[in-house]
Amino acid sequence: MGDILVLAEHRQGELREVTLELLTLAGQLGGNVVALLLGSGVDDFAGKIAGYADKVLVVDDPMFANFNGMAYQAALAEIIKSEKPGLVLIGNTGQGMDVIGALAVELGLPFTTDAVAVKMEGDKPEVTRQYYGGKIDGTIDFKDADTYIVGMREAAIPAGEGGKSGEVAKIDNPVTSEITARKFLEYVEAAIGDVDITQSTLLVSVGRGIREDKNMPMMEELAGLMGADISGSRAVVDAGWLPTDRQVGISGKTVKPKLYLALGISGAFQHVTGMKGSDLVVAINKDPDAPIFQYADYGIVDDLLKVVPALIDKLKEMKG
Amino acid sequence: MSNIEHNAFVQKYDLLGCIQCGRCTGGCPVTVRTPLNVRRFVYDTVDDDRLEELSEKPDIWDCTTCNTCAIRCPKGLEPFEVLLGLRAMRAEEGNIEPTARDALESMFNNGNPWGKPAAKRTDWMEGIEGVEKVRILEPGEKADVLIHTCCTACYDPRIIPLAKNLVRVLEAAGVDYGFMGTEEKHCGSEARRLGEEGLFEYFDEENTELLGSFEVNRLVTLSPHCFNSFKNEYTSLDLPVQHYTQLVAELIEDKKLELKNEIGSSVVFHDPCYLGKKNLVFDEPRYILGQIPGVEIAEFFRNKERSLCCEGGGGKMWVESESKEQRLAETRIADAEALGAKIVAVACPFCLLTLEDALKVRGLEEEMRVADILELLGEAL
Amino acid sequence: MNIVVCVKQVPDTSDPDTEVHIDGTGRGVDQSKFSFVINDADNYAVEEAILLKEKHGGEVTVVNIGPEAANQVIRMALAKGGDAAIRLDDEKFAFSDVLATARLLQSAVKDGGFDLIMAGCLASDDGYGAVGVTLAQLLGLPHAAMVKTVEVIDDKKLKVGRELEGGLLEMNEIEMPCVLTIQTGGNEPRYASFKGIREASKKEIKVMDLGATGLAEDQVGEAGSCAIMAQYSVPEVGELAEILEGDPGTTSARLAEILKEKGLV
Repeated sequence: MGDILVLAEHRQGELREVTLELLTLAGQLGGNVVALLLGSGVDDFAGKIAGYADKVLVVDDPMFANFNGMAYQAALAEIIKSEKPGLVLIGNTGQGMDVIGALAVELGLPFTTDAVAVKMEGDKPEVTRQYYGGKIDGTIDFKDADTYIVGMREAAIPAGEGGKSGEVAKIDNPVTSEITARKFLEYVEAAIGDVDITQSTLLVSVGRGIREDKNMPMMEELAGLMGADISGSRAVVDAGWLPTDRQVGISGKTVKPKLYLALGISGAFQHVTGMKGSDLVVAINKDPDAPIFQYADYGIVDDLLKVVPALIDKLKEMKG
Repeated sequence: MSNIEHNAFVQKYDLLGCIQCGRCTGGCPVTVRTPLNVRRFVYDTVDDDRLEELSEKPDIWDCTTCNTCAIRCPKGLEPFEVLLGLRAMRAEEGNIEPTARDALESMFNNGNPWGKPAAKRTDWMEGIEGVEKVRILEPGEKADVLIHTCCTACYDPRIIPLAKNLVRVLEAAGVDYGFMGTEEKHCGSEARRLGEEGLFEYFDEENTELLGSFEVNRLVTLSPHCFNSFKNEYTSLDLPVQHYTQLVAELIEDKKLELKNEIGSSVVFHDPCYLGKKNLVFDEPRYILGQIPGVEIAEFFRNKERSLCCEGGGGKMWVESESKEQRLAETRIADAEALGAKIVAVACPFCLLTLEDALKVRGLEEEMRVADILELLGEAL
Repeated sequence: MNIVVCVKQVPDTSDPDTEVHIDGTGRGVDQSKFSFVINDADNYAVEEAILLKEKHGGEVTVVNIGPEAANQVIRMALAKGGDAAIRLDDEKFAFSDVLATARLLQSAVKDGGFDLIMAGCLASDDGYGAVGVTLAQLLGLPHAAMVKTVEVIDDKKLKVGRELEGGLLEMNEIEMPCVLTIQTGGNEPRYASFKGIREASKKEIKVMDLGATGLAEDQVGEAGSCAIMAQYSVPEVGELAEILEGDPGTTSARLAEILKEKGLV
């Protein structure tokens, strides 16, 4: 099989974890792993990536100091033409999704996005994707080509330890003229303090099961450790333990976080309607018959006032 | 100045009939927790030029349409209808709360406000104790009683037991009944109360045609809200309409329904606004409760025409008030607690949900419960 | 400013009670118990288009690929303020992948002289999140994906904020005409009243079949696709919650591991 070209992803001076995930996957698929790093002053990243790749191609140019999907597309197109990899892996992220479709059309290559698993069947990748909100899986059949482009979901596979020590090769920027149709301006951080739970990625959501107002700081500590926002049921809002704009449900907000951690929420229909779009639901409730467990992916049937402190300790340990 | 008598609201709501006595606002239950002043709206909406501005006031969404103002009005007006007129202006512009928007879109797309597929409307009919198959009528089929289930009883797991118990009661009493199956649609009541008059008219048309396609003697509803719409708001429905409490009272009186099991408890009945204040059905629910062995009936001080609203109607399931004051449902539960009642009986899905929530907020799950009369009947069968 | 907004009608499968059953062919699902809605992100794109029109004038054209039943979502968009509509409908379009889908949209918009083409960033049914960006390349236009904020700089340029992981906004300047894929949450989609939808049903929806697109049969549907979904399967994970057993120390440790494995902490 041909080489696997992996696009490295970084943002605001940090290499994103998805890079190592993709490199780990590429290593598992066999074949030569070639990482492509587009950036400006990114030697540190190159060093780290080398531990996961057989070769690291670095284009060090101010053009790539910040992400510009169209500049990335132009560079990738040239490098794919010259490197002729058998497979190109790009993170299906805010950056990757800004590139993949256009890149594939420019090169006339078959592509798919948001893969959750990839295997090789000879020279062809066999890709598994999710459909209908993850309720069913589907496999992708590509038209024959020399190169396939796959957008891989973030966190679909864990990053491994690496164990390679690839050569780092700086190459000239293949994009010779400035991209003028689109320009990067700046990053704007999400406003802090003014939490909009409909936009939250992680939610720690509390119900009457927390029992007393004085247990709120414990929930806040957990949320803080996880980088999550706090939301709650109507009963908790009614009790005045949370402001109205944190209420999840039919008469409150509809939320779609990646994680909805329901603490002491029984799961009335009117509440569930507001959180049913969450990717992963974890419920902790002492009542094994609480309806919330019907909507949860994972459940713990126990007193949350015992589980939460233990979870806080575990998360602290993990963070070192 | 335009001719006042030709102004839109003046004509539609007979605003010039108002003598500004203030009995409406004086009796309005939500004034204890919101700034709503319905008398003021009746006064202000005489001026066409102010309608737009008035429709943007958040207070118009505080009204639960409990009908207290209409009951108290010495001139026979329905002051709260003015607020629905203002809501209608907002709905027509598309400028409404997202929660109300989602409910209305679901009514249009799915025939229910809960965002559930129409095709799953009868899923609740599975697994009813002692009932092999719930009868669903085909158009043209004959039956004595046609049942309208209510969207909430079809989809909300907390309310589904009401529908199941209704079937058990019908079967036990040997009633010649039938349901409409997945063809059944939202009655339109909550569409109208959220200001969507056009959508209500659509349900009026669609349901009138559907209901007319069966050879039945009467329509019986599970919810007082559906009951009220079919009975009073549909423009050309030619079918007698009853609330289930009326049918069940009749069945007990005719000795067709036997209640055997004892429920030894003090029960206080909470009059649902749309059954009581709006349609003056007060006796039947109390009669049924009195026929359940062992039940001691207590009465709220504020009962019947003066019954306190639970705040579940008037579209309030989807639009919250900004108020942080105690909900009326909590007040109601506190009243029941003071009476020493063990069961707060209701006859409406919305009352059940709001009062049960309030019970949890007050932490009285061990001491007391809220139950629909259908659930008590199910236990007594 | 003349704007195209692409809308897709999708089954509302976000509800945990909505079961998805694979049909006998293995390439389709039983749709009989679904309720259909406008794709969530497309709804935000419609709102953004109408807000831009209200502020800067011009017209909004709604484009859809779908059967006659999709008129429902088209009419809702027209009721909210859309001016014209095109629906691409031909049985030969079935099984189109991202590329073939983008080609169909290209055929509908390429000669319209539009300043801005918008689509939702992701469809909730197949979740590719790639049609808009693919369409841009087919049209030879600049693009920006996952856009949450749109500001008009002048009649040639927009300032757009792309939403990245963690809510970070990446601000870009982009030349028009261009293609934007719109993220959810940047506005609050308005309600289309029943009366409005009835009124809108008087507006013509132009229907384009394969002949009208000017595309060849092998450019659409399965033949025109580069990566088709070949076989659906039922995921291994069960439907019920996996209950973590043990004392709080054990369950919390296991939960922490799960959160880590899924990249959530």
